[in-house]
Amino acid sequence: MKDWSLKWMIVCLLCFLPLAMYLHLIAGQIEISFSSYFNSILNFDANNTSQVLVREFRIPRLFMAIIAGAGLSLSGMFMQTLFKNPLAGPYVLGINSGASLLIALSLMTGVQFFQSNFGLIGTALIGAFAAGMLMMLIAQRLKSQITLLLVGLMFGSFTSAFVSILESLAGAESLKSYTMWSMGSLQQVEFGQLGVISLIFSLGILGSFLLVKPLNILVIGEKSASLLGLPIKSVRMLVLFLTALFAGLITAFCGPIAFVGIAIPNLTRILFQTTNHRFLIIGNCLIGAIFLVLTDAFIQVLEGQLSIPLNALTSIIGAPFVVFLLMRKLK
Amino acid sequence: MIQLTQLIIGYKSALLRSENLQLTSGSIYALIGRNGIGKSTFIQTIAGIQKPIAGEITIEGQAISEFNMKEIAETISLVDTRFEGVEYLKVKDYLALGRAPYTDAFGRLNSSDWQIVEHVATDLSIVHLLEKYTDQISDGERQLCSVARSFVQETPVILLDEPTAFLDYINRKNLLELLVRLSIEKKKCIIMSTHDLDLCLDQSIPFLLAANGEINLHETLTKEAILLAMS
Repeated sequence: MKDWSLKWMIVCLLCFLPLAMYLHLIAGQIEISFSSYFNSILNFDANNTSQVLVREFRIPRLFMAIIAGAGLSLSGMFMQTLFKNPLAGPYVLGINSGASLLIALSLMTGVQFFQSNFGLIGTALIGAFAAGMLMMLIAQRLKSQITLLLVGLMFGSFTSAFVSILESLAGAESLKSYTMWSMGSLQQVEFGQLGVISLIFSLGILGSFLLVKPLNILVIGEKSASLLGLPIKSVRMLVLFLTALFAGLITAFCGPIAFVGIAIPNLTRILFQTTNHRFLIIGNCLIGAIFLVLTDAFIQVLEGQLSIPLNALTSIIGAPFVVFLLMRKLK
Repeated sequence: MIQLTQLIIGYKSALLRSENLQLTSGSIYALIGRNGIGKSTFIQTIAGIQKPIAGEITIEGQAISEFNMKEIAETISLVDTRFEGVEYLKVKDYLALGRAPYTDAFGRLNSSDWQIVEHVATDLSIVHLLEKYTDQISDGERQLCSVARSFVQETPVILLDEPTAFLDYINRKNLLELLVRLSIEKKKCIIMSTHDLDLCLDQSIPFLLAANGEINLHETLTKEAILLAMS
């Protein structure tokens, strides 16, 4: 695909994102005027119910939908390029499981640093990074792409076994908070936390753009890449770090959100038809954000009658798409 | 150009040892020998991927063990046995990756970089492939693209591991002629492992013969040498 048509596609997506955001805002059950939105940010009045609703619920939820959609898609893209495997993703390769295990540990054994923002992010990040390192070590001993996915699956089962043991030992209160967390929700973030989250997210995006050249070279395989002068080991560490940063950040605040990280990077590649990561990074951010904003808007519409966990809905959409990819690529 | 001193190569046990060899620029060498004798290991060792068990390889007087990654990328290019193509990676972008050691931190190519890509594509008659995806061309075309990418890298040393394996007779002949011409015109030192004895004999290029655990240079190939290679 030509560069100019890719740029057009990006412009279209850029126009579509505000539309999706608008739909998300009006999808809520209670109608709220637009002046309340502006006032809740610029001129907040704690006694005004609709402003409180906007500030504590609507805006953080929309914000997290954008960040989670973009971040999970990016972390999936990193893994797919790094492992040269279109079916890789933070969920399939156990990055989420690593983060979940450590979060479960801290939620249900009541380790105190969980209380602070950084403790929560740190816990998830360490778990995600450790799982990524483990997968990297195993991947180097494997020849087949499918085997790696099976190893990821086994790792997932392994960690969820530990989580089950923790659950059986935990008290009712911590069990409930873990179960709620594991359903995946964009609703658990407070307005005050958005600053920290967007700072970490922005640093991650900046880092992603610095990795454009290494990622573009990596698509032809690690051996050829190293012969072109690419320091493979440090690039691998940086890519894994960014993957864990995005997956860890989002897992910590939103719980596990399945399939976004595997489906969106593939969708982006099919739409953009390029391996140039300069475009793929932007594309994944935009398409991921639009997808999750629309998905969550749909959940909001149904909320009066039925509350669907986010993790369930992304799986319902994502799993068939991944089966479609399997049939397309692996024949 | 390339100097091999008391070289012993292999993984855990020695596969091949060489006498002191001097390979000059402006020349192409055909590396021949039976399957599994260690031709690929020899190439990987010169490329600096595999460490020798003993001995030393120097290029222009500098030991390759002391080269940093960028220096290696600017000195040696390697065409590996098999490039399988990448979905949505265009041939022209694949060739452009050969400029990676020279481009800025974002990997942007300037107009002279693109000129090199076009020039090489013209030389190898693959201009018609430039806009195609690397996973949608034939094995032979892909092999030519791999060779082209190593030319784009513009290194004084080019190593090719069986570059003609998937090519038809005409393409084999053309590629070999092109390599011979390039080695002379651009003063490159090219080492190519191959099983095309007949074509190499036609071009009367020197042979590196790997047999009986030794690697030796033969300016011309005698009947005894051929028998040795096949024994």
